[in-house]
Amino acid sequence: MKTLTILLLVVLLSLLPLFAGKYILYMTIHILLLSLFSLGFNLLFGFTGLLSFGQAGFYAVGAYACAKILLSVPSLLLGILGGVVMAGVISFLLGLLSIRHTRIYFSMLTLCFGMMIFSLAWKWRDMTGGDDGLVGIPRAPLEIPGLWKINIATMESYYYVVLVSSLLAIYIFYRLVNSPLGLTLQGIRDSETRAACVGISVRNYRLISFTIAGLYAGLAGALLPPLENTVAPTVAHWSHSAEPVLATLLGGIYSFAGPIVGSFLFYIIKDIIVRFTEYWLICLGVIVLVLVLGFRGGVASIFYGKGGRE
Amino acid sequence: MKMKEIIRTEGLAKYFGEMAAVHEVNLTLQEGLFSSIIGPNGAGKTTLINLLSGYLLPDAGRIFFREADVTRTPPHKRVKMGISRSFQIMNIFPRLTVFQNILLPVLSRLNKNSRPFSALKNNKEAVEETEKILNEVWLWEEKDSPAGKLSHGGQRFLELGIAVAANPQLCFLDEPSSGMNPIERVNVLELVKKLSGERKTTFAIVEHDMDVVFSISDWIVVMNRGEILAEGKPEDIRNNREVRDIYLGEEI
Amino acid sequence: METLAFQGLVGLSLAMYLWLLAAGLTIVFGVLGILNFAHGSLFMLGAYFAFTFYGLWGINFWLAILLSLLTVGIVGYLMERLFLRHIYHLDHAFQLLLTFSFILIFDDVAKMVWGGVAKIPAMPSFFEGTFSVFGRLFPIYNIFIIGSGLLVALVLWLLFEKTWWGKIVRASASDREMASAIGVNIPTLFTGVFVLGAMLAALGGALGTPVRVVAPGIGAAMIIQAFIITVIGGLGNLKGAFVGAVIVGVLSAYGILLFPVFELFLIFVIMAIVLMVKPQGLFGG
Repeated sequence: MKTLTILLLVVLLSLLPLFAGKYILYMTIHILLLSLFSLGFNLLFGFTGLLSFGQAGFYAVGAYACAKILLSVPSLLLGILGGVVMAGVISFLLGLLSIRHTRIYFSMLTLCFGMMIFSLAWKWRDMTGGDDGLVGIPRAPLEIPGLWKINIATMESYYYVVLVSSLLAIYIFYRLVNSPLGLTLQGIRDSETRAACVGISVRNYRLISFTIAGLYAGLAGALLPPLENTVAPTVAHWSHSAEPVLATLLGGIYSFAGPIVGSFLFYIIKDIIVRFTEYWLICLGVIVLVLVLGFRGGVASIFYGKGGRE
Repeated sequence: MKMKEIIRTEGLAKYFGEMAAVHEVNLTLQEGLFSSIIGPNGAGKTTLINLLSGYLLPDAGRIFFREADVTRTPPHKRVKMGISRSFQIMNIFPRLTVFQNILLPVLSRLNKNSRPFSALKNNKEAVEETEKILNEVWLWEEKDSPAGKLSHGGQRFLELGIAVAANPQLCFLDEPSSGMNPIERVNVLELVKKLSGERKTTFAIVEHDMDVVFSISDWIVVMNRGEILAEGKPEDIRNNREVRDIYLGEEI
Repeated sequence: METLAFQGLVGLSLAMYLWLLAAGLTIVFGVLGILNFAHGSLFMLGAYFAFTFYGLWGINFWLAILLSLLTVGIVGYLMERLFLRHIYHLDHAFQLLLTFSFILIFDDVAKMVWGGVAKIPAMPSFFEGTFSVFGRLFPIYNIFIIGSGLLVALVLWLLFEKTWWGKIVRASASDREMASAIGVNIPTLFTGVFVLGAMLAALGGALGTPVRVVAPGIGAAMIIQAFIITVIGGLGNLKGAFVGAVIVGVLSAYGILLFPVFELFLIFVIMAIVLMVKPQGLFGG
């Protein structure tokens, strides 16, 4: 039953450009980006038990790295790969520093690192364009030199680039969480002391989780510049770090698909609310309040019940 | 066959502020002998287990596992070397299923728990071993329930299962029947006896139930106020004047 | 040299706002164990209420400050009793998320009630004017701010060291179970401490009204710095919060003067270093 739904969804998404206009495609791309961003975040939070308020920093690294590459070498593949790799490296290094601490200190440290990246992005004009950001980023063609070159200037074709990348990344993530590695991370979340006492090096696995979260944030970030043609420092701000937190909380922090469902709900709710009132933050705040007080498993827990994974 | 020592401490001490929780402890446990550590509340039994399993670092003294100095070895490394433990306050993985609770330590033992892409059920060796252990600890029926939803007794069995899943050479059980009613208590200690008989593991338990202690143990260590008051075979301990004194008239 | 000294004084007055904000934050953390992300919003509300009472309704300056303290105290009371109380037993993550949701709510409430436009009300006449120091002109109001900050520090010290209530609070902070066992009403105590924290934040916001912009974002801007201060000083440590506030305030002022580009970055680096090297803070135990 589940496989059928997923298959239907993939087919629907693949055929979307045939009947949907530019705006819907644009929205869907953003939903996919938030999904990737949130999946990474939730590997850390729902699966490993670490709440990071600084993931936007790695998103920004991915975005800026991709942008800088595209501004000199118009190859989409290089830009995206470069963005992901840079984000992975930075998250590994910052992870080394952050992972020795837990809970509140960890959350504050990640907030700190995220804002450090923000302040660099905001002030370092020569490198990042300062508060103006980087502009004129081309939606460079997808090419493997010597083999082929696909021009993806249109929204439809870029949509497919994002869709394919996302589906691939989601599949990899699925394999990850259902593997021994995924089980180990969840064990660490459930009981850090117990995990150590069955032979698991808790620190090493937390670092792995942190780095993977950074890679996914970096991928989401790297896919942004070709879409918007600009990158601004706001992508690194802690308020942006809050988006995957909220989306995941909405969808369900203990389920694999929670972040994806939550991202979809996040944009739908935002879209609907914004039509009626400009006070979208208060609605979001109330939703989070209700979720934390009564539905900590998110939408997923309403469908699958609490306790254990689905 | 000469008995080999499996773990030995020299001058082990741990202080909390001014108070010595464990003081000048020179303990030797022999491989193959079922040992019990007894003593009044606050005697330092749990602290000793914490020191031996690596959960706490000592302020003085050394610990030798076989010939290796493990005094400052972190817990996860001690597990890999062959020392395992269970906890007095329940320490299972509540959101994982019972099956996963056992699968994880088994995978860890097989050094396969970092594989990022293989589906869990494809790790045949680990899965088979997990099934075996689940049967050993009488939890086969509940294997797909979230561990947090088990009954108290079931969780105690699971604790034991996790402790032996690492296939340890030395296993410390910290009050394995704590908080249980008499019937459950009998069951848990039956299980401990069974595991001790079936596996090549040396068990050392902290326990308060004297009947159990005297019926099950080959060796008893009595602690009081952070020090070892006496140790020996059950009948020697039974006749020991000082031991009787600290238990003040309790029938032992 | 004189410029440096003057800038130091500027930093000191900035530090006092931070001190008021950080004091409440650190007390609440020390006693309740909760890091209130929405603390900056309480600061903002203090500023908005003070602006309304003093700037819009023309109430006497001192009365306006007092009223805004009381109003925000009520807000804090409702926050704790109706919401926070129910999640003390949950994982820290959910407590952080709950307080975070309040930031979103208060921010929009501020926009709804007062509009998003920034305001600066008039300076009370008795504080108008400047004072010549280090060859430059220093606003008298800033001296008042520094004085107020020091006064609050003294009052808090007396409260926690010398009064019966203060001693109970400290005992409860270090051992909740023990305090409960000897008859302390922990829930009421928690509410009281939270309200105290809220009022301190409100005071910081209210005192800033004649000189600082009152806008929806001011709380968020300062809460990050308040976190930095509480980390540097040690979470739950009042003395540390004061020293930390002075350090951050003065460094901020120097940073703006000497390293305008990297001032923000530097402060975060310091916080990160403290968190990594001595997470209990300079004064933490």
